[in-house]
Amino acid sequence: MNRVIFTLTLRELTRQRRSLLLVLLAAVPVVLAIIYQLGDRTDQQDWVANVLLKAVVVTLVLPLTCLVLGTSALGSEIDDGTIVYLLTKPIPRVSIVSAKFTAAAFTSATLVVVAAAVSGAIGIAGTPSQGLVPAFTLAVALASLAYTALFLLLSVVTSRALLIGLGYVFVWEGLLTNLFPATSYLSIREYCLAIADSITTMSPDIFSSEIGAAAALPLLATVTVVALYLATRRLETLELSESE
Amino acid sequence: MTNGTPAHGVIEMANVSRWYDSVVAVNDVSFALEPGITGLLGPNGAGKSTILHMLAGFLKPSSGTVQIGGAPVWRNHQQLYRATGLVPEREAVYPFMTGHEFVLFNAKLYGLPDPEAAARRALSLVGMEYAEKRKLGGYSKGMKQRIKVASAIVHDPQVLLLDEPFNGTDPRQRLEMMDLLRQMAAEGRTIVFSSHILDEVERLAEQVLVIVAGRLAASGDFRAIRLLMTDRPHVFTVVSSDNRKYAQALVADPTVVAVEFTEEALTVRTAQYLGFTRLAPRIAREHQITLRELVPTDESLESVFSYLVNR
Repeated sequence: MNRVIFTLTLRELTRQRRSLLLVLLAAVPVVLAIIYQLGDRTDQQDWVANVLLKAVVVTLVLPLTCLVLGTSALGSEIDDGTIVYLLTKPIPRVSIVSAKFTAAAFTSATLVVVAAAVSGAIGIAGTPSQGLVPAFTLAVALASLAYTALFLLLSVVTSRALLIGLGYVFVWEGLLTNLFPATSYLSIREYCLAIADSITTMSPDIFSSEIGAAAALPLLATVTVVALYLATRRLETLELSESE
Repeated sequence: MTNGTPAHGVIEMANVSRWYDSVVAVNDVSFALEPGITGLLGPNGAGKSTILHMLAGFLKPSSGTVQIGGAPVWRNHQQLYRATGLVPEREAVYPFMTGHEFVLFNAKLYGLPDPEAAARRALSLVGMEYAEKRKLGGYSKGMKQRIKVASAIVHDPQVLLLDEPFNGTDPRQRLEMMDLLRQMAAEGRTIVFSSHILDEVERLAEQVLVIVAGRLAASGDFRAIRLLMTDRPHVFTVVSSDNRKYAQALVADPTVVAVEFTEEALTVRTAQYLGFTRLAPRIAREHQITLRELVPTDESLESVFSYLVNR
């Protein structure tokens, strides 16, 4: 990994208006948890597991955060042409991809881990946690790596990465995996839920996942590694042209 | 510089073509360049940038080979960029960086042993020390051009490629940058720059590659190419008091290639531009004809280029 590119990417990702929007997005579950705690708190474990952490953090905050940061890390430089300053250097392409990925994954993971941990802790206060909050916190941290790698790959492959990424999150993961459970094996969200499920001691009647952690962890690692490998290969043969 | 059959040179392109789907952007171009300044001249859309991008390793030739320093360019990033610097045409820079940060950032990416000293030297060479603490987002177009040059020469490359480097620079900045490039060339570096402005190429380039419609239309010493451009047939529209009589008188002169006659005007083709501007009034006077209009037509750079292609 190249430290100069890592630092550059962190500066790029955190300086723009979108970083403020992502902080606001990460604050949504925290605000919801506070509002919930101020209410009558019926079915608290169920609400925290299935509404707050699963529906809001894992289904919404996690993929959207990774989508924005993953596609921006390299994609915005390809779009505006500043990628030239990285590509004209005697640096292996794998160093560029790994530095970009590390910066984007670090930023994404920080946001989603804080969102899961803080909102979960607030939401579950007053009732036995049964390891729910640490389980989801670890699961979203690991899933953020796979999401970020996947969206970074998309940004190197297509100029419509954001649109395709939204399609993957909302159509594939949000709709098709619910209609056809077999597609859960091709869903990072399901890997995330499976990891959380394997850690928490929460009753399966309250929270369970479609696939087991034994499959989810290797799949998560495979998605991350394959996506980064393909992104590197793609960057090695990336062609740049300017309109004359 | 040689062309046609590829020969050994610091930069070599051999039978290179590049097409996008069915559109041919560069068509069977071969040349070899030695140290010095070479201008890549041609109208907009001629294929100059495509050639520069292939030299810079950003585009894979559809056929043929591109080499710098004897090594292939495509997918040879580590070797190529140690000795090559590129100034892209696009203005894009990191707007949140200061000029100094940007050049230092590039120096670090080149893995230089003392990036700070290299950045200071490059900033001084392009005369941008005065603005080094300002953010690039607030730079003018000319300042961005100069900071891009600083970032491309920070590792003291043997080969420097510049895509339309004088865009947006004022006359003083242009002169200073030309002096810098001349100095670098005098030190034995190979410099290639593209331009669609004849004057820029004339003032700076020792050698010229004229690119028109993706083809190498002419190459070699600038003065020889300039002569080709000047000696080509020129077209004038002429209106006189007696077009028929004037046409007969003109066609008798050996420098007049052809005369097309209509009642309203004559279209005269001549081999000598300046010679004809002196000849036409003289012949009119001798034949007591009043010369009402003498207008050169089709003198655009594009028409000059297309003459070179079709000659």
